[in-house]
Amino acid sequence: MKRQLAAFILLVVCQLSAWAHKASDSYLAVDVQGRAVTAQWDIALRDIDFALGLDGDGNAEITWGELRARQNDIAAWALSRLALTRGGVCPLEVTGLQVDDHTDGGYAVLHLSGTCPGEAGALGLQYRLLFDLDKLHRGLLRLTLDGATYTTVLSPTSGVVQFGAAQTSRWAQFSQYLVEGIWHIWIGFDHILFLLSLLLPAVLVLHMRRWQGVSSFGAAMREVLWVVTSFTAAHSITLSLAALGLVSLPSRLVESAIALSVVLAAANNLWPVVEHRRWLVAFGFGLIHGFGFASVLAELGLPADALVLSLLGFNAGVEVGQMAIVAGFLPVAFLLRNTRFYVRDVFGLGSWLTMLVALVWLLERAFDLKLVSA
Amino acid sequence: MSFNCYQWSLRAVLLVSGALLALPAQSVPRTPVDDATVIEKLPFRAGDSRARELETLRASARKSPGDANAAAALAQAYFDMAQARSDPRYVGYADAVVSQFDNNMSTDLLVIRGMLYQYRHDFDKALVDFASALAQDPERAGAHAWRGAIYLVEAQYDNARKECAALLKLQRPVLHGGCDALVQAYTGQLNSAYATLQQALALARYEDQRLWLLTRLGEVSAWLGQNARAERHYRDALALGLDDGYLLAAWADFLLDTKRPAEVLKLLSAWEASDPLLLRLAEAETLLQVPAAKAHVQALDDRFAAAKLRGDTTHRAEEARFQLRLRKNPALAVQLAAANYHVQKEPRDLRVLLEAALAAHDSAAAKPGRDWLQSTGFEDARIRTLAAQTLQLPPVAKIPVVAP
Repeated sequence: MKRQLAAFILLVVCQLSAWAHKASDSYLAVDVQGRAVTAQWDIALRDIDFALGLDGDGNAEITWGELRARQNDIAAWALSRLALTRGGVCPLEVTGLQVDDHTDGGYAVLHLSGTCPGEAGALGLQYRLLFDLDKLHRGLLRLTLDGATYTTVLSPTSGVVQFGAAQTSRWAQFSQYLVEGIWHIWIGFDHILFLLSLLLPAVLVLHMRRWQGVSSFGAAMREVLWVVTSFTAAHSITLSLAALGLVSLPSRLVESAIALSVVLAAANNLWPVVEHRRWLVAFGFGLIHGFGFASVLAELGLPADALVLSLLGFNAGVEVGQMAIVAGFLPVAFLLRNTRFYVRDVFGLGSWLTMLVALVWLLERAFDLKLVSA
Repeated sequence: MSFNCYQWSLRAVLLVSGALLALPAQSVPRTPVDDATVIEKLPFRAGDSRARELETLRASARKSPGDANAAAALAQAYFDMAQARSDPRYVGYADAVVSQFDNNMSTDLLVIRGMLYQYRHDFDKALVDFASALAQDPERAGAHAWRGAIYLVEAQYDNARKECAALLKLQRPVLHGGCDALVQAYTGQLNSAYATLQQALALARYEDQRLWLLTRLGEVSAWLGQNARAERHYRDALALGLDDGYLLAAWADFLLDTKRPAEVLKLLSAWEASDPLLLRLAEAETLLQVPAAKAHVQALDDRFAAAKLRGDTTHRAEEARFQLRLRKNPALAVQLAAANYHVQKEPRDLRVLLEAALAAHDSAAAKPGRDWLQSTGFEDARIRTLAAQTLQLPPVAKIPVVAP
């Protein structure tokens, strides 16, 4: 601490050096014509090096060969941090790599192209390049949407930005986050497995230590509703608290607890402890899962001007995603409930597999290991 | 260089859209022919001791993501790097490390976040963080020192004095001396300030503390008009052999003021990457009419434009000086200097305000500066003369703003 005090006032009176060199920017020029997207994205080589490491031979010089060798990594990294939507997600790919110079040095120039599901309506853009590493990074966007031009500075707080539908932008913002919510429950395998572990036994009942199918669809439906509703209520509470910055937990703890919840839910199917009050389990662990959703949302960014609306949209999206899973699962499970296939393979083996997968997650997350390569 | 038709038309399109959107788009992407072409030079080799130090800190922060101490050590190292290399990317890195702890900040992290806010001239938020740090740990001298420094920049001298007194109570004589000396210097007691700095220097054990005190001794001497003494202090500071952007800028300003631009050329030729130093280099080159001047002035123009694009306003004092001395656009310079003076009120900020007002024949713009001089009694003869000259200006003689 003493050392850092040493030059204290110097630092403040060093204001004149405050902007020397330049903070990190990327230059993103996007052209959308109907469904067709083309874009040019200039990203500083220093930034790519900081995020991915480019200087293969460690001589402090990046060569064209070193950059070219990493083109696929760079493309995957950059594309995972840019999302365009028009009537749905517009998948993008990198079609070319060049270089250029800006005021602060060399840049990689990525040429992108893609196709949107919708050919008219608002365009949503979400940008989060480097924000995890450099909070001062900005994306300088120039967008041409069906001939109309927009420019904006994209920052960690800009979230999903909407263009070309000013009068419906509130609704568009809501639906944008709704889509994100649906998407994130679908790719969040730990949430899905947890939910399924609780739903698998909903069409069964334990009778004389043996599982049998429930008698009526209504009974199964009631059980499912209880479980899903309490899971929803619980994670909505913690998601909102965390997203609004009122509560925060270390992500390693949250992720480990989520894995543990899947282990326990699956184990409960194999060695039943909680049978009639699964909704309580769903509620208790739902609180933890909410923190998990919140970290996704934090990565996504919430626009400051529509915080609550976007939060509601995301939450609603998560629910819609869940309902879709339930709607797909319940009728099939109900039909199969009295078969050996369902009871032994789907329910028994499925619970075993779920538990094993979740155990691996738990070990990885709790001890920061990499047991199974992605 | 030869252009084909395609390149010309692309260039025309880019120029038009560039003008329309103020995006700097003069260049056209290229595909190097040779894999061995060097397309960027990094600040360090991977094996350099500083790079290895940073990597060690990064690794330990990665290993224990919830560990506030590991994060604070890494963020501090990034911030120090930003200062030493005048490179704001490291400030962004530090910010990203600190912001992982937004809801459970340790005292160290609060102090660092305060430093990051002040770096971006968000003085109000910085003061809140330093206050929170002091609430957690009332003996945190650094938080007092930083608060004192912010109050000095904002010309709140009574508040600054309280922070200096707190440093004395915490038995930090060197910090207290530095703090007190600046308050004295800015409130019309240059001789006492000089003596206070000398006393602090006698107690200072660390080289970076000595460097800072020697630099300020040089500045105070120059304000007192004692150039030989100022030069001796600057040379002692340079002899310590530490990279320091502030020292180089102050010494270059002294050389420019004493009509020795050739020495600035030699001093700063390797510091083009740092914009404040490039500004001084370009001024010296312009005075000496060397060919490099033109490219450097253009580079500064581009960098100011790039900063403007991202909404960065922390460099207005430098930009004012650039518009005044190198672009000969006093009307724009006085606007920038006045906007800067609204936020920062140190002698450097005052000087560019007065010089720009004088060149733009805008006596009214200089009024806040004249008021400050009157209320503080600041003694620098050069600045007092400038202020007096702004009073002689004819009352109405506005020059229309001409965009560069």
